Amino acid sequence: MSLLQVTNLRKSYGAHISVHDISFEIEKGRCVALLGPNGAGKTTTLRMLAGLLEPTSGMISFEGSRPGAEYRKGLGYVPQSPAFYGWMTGQEYVVFAAKLSGMGAKEATSSALESLKRVGLKDDARRRIGGYSGGMKQRLGLAQALVHRPRLLLLDEPVSALDPIGRREVMELLREIREETTVVFSTHVLHDAEEICDDIILMNHGLIAEQGALSQLRSQYSLPVIRLRTEKHKEAIQWLESLASKPFVLESQLLGDHAVFNVNDVEKARQMILQEAAQLEIPLLQFEAGSSTLEDLFMKVVGV
Amino acid sequence: MSSTWVLYRKEMLEMARSYKLIWIPVVFIILGIMQPLTTYYLPEILKASGDVPPGLLEGYEIPSAAVVMAQALGQYGTIGMLVLALGSMNTLAGERYSGTLELILVRPVSPVAIVLAKWFAQLTLLVVALGLGAAGAAYYTEQLIGSLSWGDVIAASGVYGLWLLCVVSATLLFSAFLRPPVAAFLALALMAGLSLGLSILPAWFDWTPAALSGLSAGILIDGEGFRAAPYLSDSILIIICLAGASFLTRKNNFPD
Repeated sequence: MSLLQVTNLRKSYGAHISVHDISFEIEKGRCVALLGPNGAGKTTTLRMLAGLLEPTSGMISFEGSRPGAEYRKGLGYVPQSPAFYGWMTGQEYVVFAAKLSGMGAKEATSSALESLKRVGLKDDARRRIGGYSGGMKQRLGLAQALVHRPRLLLLDEPVSALDPIGRREVMELLREIREETTVVFSTHVLHDAEEICDDIILMNHGLIAEQGALSQLRSQYSLPVIRLRTEKHKEAIQWLESLASKPFVLESQLLGDHAVFNVNDVEKARQMILQEAAQLEIPLLQFEAGSSTLEDLFMKVVGV
Repeated sequence: MSSTWVLYRKEMLEMARSYKLIWIPVVFIILGIMQPLTTYYLPEILKASGDVPPGLLEGYEIPSAAVVMAQALGQYGTIGMLVLALGSMNTLAGERYSGTLELILVRPVSPVAIVLAKWFAQLTLLVVALGLGAAGAAYYTEQLIGSLSWGDVIAASGVYGLWLLCVVSATLLFSAFLRPPVAAFLALALMAGLSLGLSILPAWFDWTPAALSGLSAGILIDGEGFRAAPYLSDSILIIICLAGASFLTRKNNFPD
């Protein structure tokens, strides 16, 4: 059963359409990455899902409920840079958040302690938030989003603003959290998505460019590819250009002394290219045979 | 209702931690007791400042206790109002601009609860500040000048409080969609406009909430001060402000 169903969701600001009639479904228990370059409409989409923005048109249905029904109780949301009251302590804030989601005082306190412990803020729970670091605030953001045990967790760029250590910590947390609840997070880093997600939704210019299970997309877009780099000699570059018209090359990309070829048979192509290079005494710097990754797909969609 | 209570407690905690719950009442107390003190010691103050033409002080007569008390309350109409507007301008605007409001709005909380909690917190602050300030003023008036009817003092302060509540409510409304200083300025300008209108064209403006300050003085000086129109317009203005602030908060016009 799908947890969240989005149909023809659109958000426009005057003539500018920032999310253009997108439709997708999110299955229960999955971890979904909303992927795309800056300005693709990821944040706008998440904010509409969180009920912070009114969609211009389209429907959002949570657990099969009628569109427009109140579902915020089952939702946890962490914005890109969560802002808290600096004069509160971490614990006070999480208890406050739990109470706002309808928990009683006792339950709120115990649940808050549990989720603070979980994100590793137990020792700092009684300190004022004003003195927290960026990574601690991000983890406090997760704690407040988890405290009422939501069925869907929405995270907007959870690791973009963090240093490598903070990033590692949050990714580890997400890996644990995704075992218990459905997670949707936006990112512009493909690597993060590949690390923990089941599905990706690739957005660009307010449209969904590609979506599906990560494993399926990986096999679908995996093509044999050969990368070549030569020294900047005229003959060498001419040779690279001539390779582009070989029968085994499906698609080529030439950038001066650097070339990428999608080929139909990597074995045959490798043999022929290396033979020719030896014959013509081409000063090769780099030769790499392998398969293209989602990174290439991402770049292709984004159009760089 | 329970989320209003949770939010109200948070507002009160913030007021306590930012010392607003202390310094605003202190300002009100100082403003309140200054009036009877300066009135009583005016001849001394003038003498101390040097050359006073002879005969000037002979004509000086200390006004009655009721008049002094009414003047003391009148002090809150200027500096008191300014302090209240500056103290409440951040309530919604600060949360919108810092982004803390976002994390409240993703929870099952209605915008009405958010606005009501903030309004009740400001009302609490106003009651504390005005209560202590008026009590201080009445105490010194009683000690230095003459006796007062405490019932009249309480009634007059309450009526004056309704007028001050207007500026707080208007600031709340403006801070739901404007920057904090602009919100305070517009709320004060609105109140100043009403007061000015009342003093220039009393017949046209005597139904507005600005007339409440005159009614408050009337209660003290001649023991009467009831005209339904100012009370009604005051309530309507406050309700419009609260409804408008709730509506604008629902619309989520966040600065990006």
